[in-house]
Formats: sequence, structure tokens, C-alpha cells
Amino acid sequence: MILKPQSFEPLGKKVILAFEELGRMSLLAQDFFYWIGIAPLQGKRALRRSSFADQLLFMGNESLTIVFLVTVSVGAVLALQAAYQLNQFGAAMYTGALVSVSMARELGPLVTAIIIAGRVGASITAELGTMKVSEEVDALITMGIPPIPFLVVPRMLAMLVMLPVLTVLSFALGIFGGYLIGVFALGLDGISYLKESFDALVTKDILTGTAKSFIFALLVGLIATYKGLHVKGGAEGVGRSTTESVVYSIIAIIISDAILTAVFFYAFP
Amino acid sequence: MKTVLEVQNVHKWFGTRRILNGINLQVREGETLVIMGGSGGGKSTLLRILIGLLRPDQGQVFILGKDIAQARDEEKDEVRKKFGMLFQGSALFNSLSVGENVALPLREHTNLDYEIIRIIVKVKLELVGLTGFENHRPYEISGGMKKRVALARAIALDPTLVFYDEPGAGLDPITASVIDQLILDLTRKLKMTSVVVTHEMTSAFRIADRMIVLHKGEIVASGPPDEIKHSKHPYVQQFIHGEIDDNVLSQESRSKYLQSIFGTEDYD
Repeated sequence: MILKPQSFEPLGKKVILAFEELGRMSLLAQDFFYWIGIAPLQGKRALRRSSFADQLLFMGNESLTIVFLVTVSVGAVLALQAAYQLNQFGAAMYTGALVSVSMARELGPLVTAIIIAGRVGASITAELGTMKVSEEVDALITMGIPPIPFLVVPRMLAMLVMLPVLTVLSFALGIFGGYLIGVFALGLDGISYLKESFDALVTKDILTGTAKSFIFALLVGLIATYKGLHVKGGAEGVGRSTTESVVYSIIAIIISDAILTAVFFYAFP
Repeated sequence: MKTVLEVQNVHKWFGTRRILNGINLQVREGETLVIMGGSGGGKSTLLRILIGLLRPDQGQVFILGKDIAQARDEEKDEVRKKFGMLFQGSALFNSLSVGENVALPLREHTNLDYEIIRIIVKVKLELVGLTGFENHRPYEISGGMKKRVALARAIALDPTLVFYDEPGAGLDPITASVIDQLILDLTRKLKMTSVVVTHEMTSAFRIADRMIVLHKGEIVASGPPDEIKHSKHPYVQQFIHGEIDDNVLSQESRSKYLQSIFGTEDYD
């Protein structure tokens, strides 16, 4: 088969579209930072407190149970897999250390962010998308109410607060899951398991893990609100955007996790 | 009388398609102007330009003396506080109660006390005949009621000008005429100016002081309802009587059909 120059046209179009989308998303980010940073100084009302509180409550409430179930299981699985290897060196007592450090540095932020992208990010996109297709966003604009502080700011801020909170919680839950396996399945001593877990953890582990969760929150929040506000094509469009929101969020989380881990690895050895 | 809305030589293209071609119109204080036209005639685009959701490619739109087509976002927001808009699907916020929906513009744009806002909301809801519905949710009330709540929200800030997008769409004839009556009453009681976009004939002739008919992006007729009724323009007559244009189907069919299957018009 001979490849004609035209064969690359669809690919080129896709690349251009992707860059356009990235550009528009960074404009949304710029708007968001304008509204939380500069607008209040100009005397504009940037935060609707009750709406922010509603979003916080919604996010925490919706995801706490899932975060609990998943991170306890991840901690437990990690303990089992670690013990399987460490046993070969007679080092099963270090299971707790391995679990706590991997939860704080890597798995806690990653797993929690993915859960939030699926649970909260999707619902933000669906909600804003529905508002968009039923002309509610247009109604806001024609009432002279800018949609960014009204719709985006409370959701983004709630995300930036709630994801790190849930992430810190996930450290504890992961350690708890590891503890259950360590004590009840591997027969390790409970006190020394916990001591081992916390001795191995240093402040840097907690800080880098939490820092990651802020970046993830920013990415998930931006993708979810952007996808919601740019829905096209009625109810079907809302469904498509919601799926894209989750897929893009998860890809963004994992790629940025790789980059951040490398940055932290070399910047804070 | 004062001119509330003035449109000068507005053009709009979507890509290579021309949607509006040199629209000129004026609306005077206290007048009800009905914009009629078939689907694809450009009336929704014109309305979106009037309320500042779309920028025209050429031309000016003065609302209360301010050119909304060229204004910056903040200036637009100032103008928008002075007019109301009733959307086709009501566009009520489902996360808010009926009362909160009506209160929203007041909360956002005034420093009025909570109690005072509550009273204003009560009054506005009474004006549209929905006393005591404050605590209902939008999904708990009927389509006609939603339209009325949306109307109450549109007039919450006592605007001088209100736009209506297909006020009778999706409603039964009786409810639609109730909405028409409300528009008439409010226009008189509150001395408002109204611009109504619709394709429903009965409703249009009932409420209009003046009408314009849009066809293929141009105003083909304009004047008081009686004049429009007796207009000689073939499209206007056809539109009023709901007749099928013999040309419409045959004009488009062969080339469109070929285009749709072969991607070209000159297949043979």
C-alpha cells in the first residue's frame, strides 16, 4: 500500500484538535487562577461560600466509603505481596515499613486520585454538561453572572481541599490494611508492626505524597470542569464528555505521577 | 419614544454559511416586537447576538444605548442586569428551589437584605400566578409552571427589556396562551419592552405590536400584525398558512442526495 500525503490528514487534524483542547483548558486554568487570585483584590465576589461548602460535603460524602474500601484493600494486598518476597530473606518484619512508605509516597495519592476522578470528576462533568445543554450556563451569562466563579471556582477549590484530605486519610487506611494482614495472616506482632511502619516513614514521604495529591486535584478538577462546560450535542454529548473526563483524568494522573516522582527523586534525594 | 434596542447592519457567518445578512431593526420603549421565521431562518442566531452570547461578524447592537456587540465582558454584564431573558427550556437551576432561582439575580447583583429578597421573590411569583411555590424544586413542577418561574426570574431585577425565546414551545395550546397573556399583562403592568422570538402564528399575532419575518438571514417583511397578515410576500403568506413550498424539496434533493452518498455533486 502506498501512503499518500493525504493519509496523514486525519492524524494531523487529531493532533491539532488535541492541542486546541489543551490550549482552551489552560485558558480555563488561567481564568480560575484569576478568579481566586486577582479578582478578590479588585473587589469582585469570587467565592460563593455556601456552594463551596456544598461541594466539599458532596465530595467527601460521595467518596469516603470507596476510598476506605479500596485503600484498605491496597494496603492488605501490598502487605501480602511484600511478605511473600521479604520472607525469602527472613525479613517479613519489614512488611510494615514497605507498606507505609509505598502508601505515602505512591499508592495513596495515586489510588485516591483515580477514585476521585471516577466518582467526583465524572459527576462534575455530568452536572456541568447537563447545565450547559439545558441552557442553564447561558442563563447565568445573560443574568450577568460569570460562570467561572459561580460554577468552576467552588468545585475546583473543594477538589483542592478534599483530595489531599482523602489522600492523607488513605495513608492511614493503607497502613491499617497492611496491619490486618501482618497481624492476622502473617502472625507478626501488632505493636512492632506499627512501630516498624511509622519508624520507616519520614516527613518527606508524607509531604511529597500530599504535594502530588494537590497536582492531581488541579488536573482532575480542570479536566472535569472543562469537559462539562464544553459539552456539545445534547444528552449524548454529556455521556461522551463524562467518559472522556474520566479517561483523560486517569491518563493525566498517571503521567504526571511519573513526572512528579522523577522530579522528587532527583530534587530531594 | 425612546429606542430601547437598535440593530444596525448585522451580519453573521458560521464558517462559509451566511446566517444573517444585514439585519436592521429598532424597538421602541413599551413595544412588543415579535421576530418570526422558519427553522434555520436565523432567528435564534439573531437572538443570541442580541443578548450578547454571540458576536456578530459585522454590525452593531445597541441595548439602552450601549453597543453589546463590541463591549468587553464586564461592560456586557452591566448591560445584562438591565434586561431579562426567558429561555426556551426555562433553564432553571435544578440544584436550587423555585424561590432561590428567582432570588439568584437579586442575591448576585444587589446588597438587599435576605428578608427583602424573600418579599421581592414572593411578589414576583405572585405576578406570574405561583404564590407559595418558593420551596418546590424545578423538577417537581410542570413545564408551564417552569416557564412562569423562569419569567419571574427574568423580571426579578425589574428590567426595562425582556427577551423571550419561543415562549410557547413544548406547551399545550391552553398553557401557551396563559404564558402569552402573562407576557401581555407584564408588558403593560411593568411598562416593559418585549422582544419575542417565535414560529407559532396564533401566539405571534396575539401579542405583537409589530412583527418582522426572517427568511434566509434577511428581514422579508416588517410591520404591524395586520400588515403582515396581508403581506404580498410569497414566503410570508406561505409561512402564515403553513404551506409546503414545492421548490423546497426538489431544489435541494438531487444535489444533496448525491453529495450525501458520493461526497460530490457532479457524479454523472
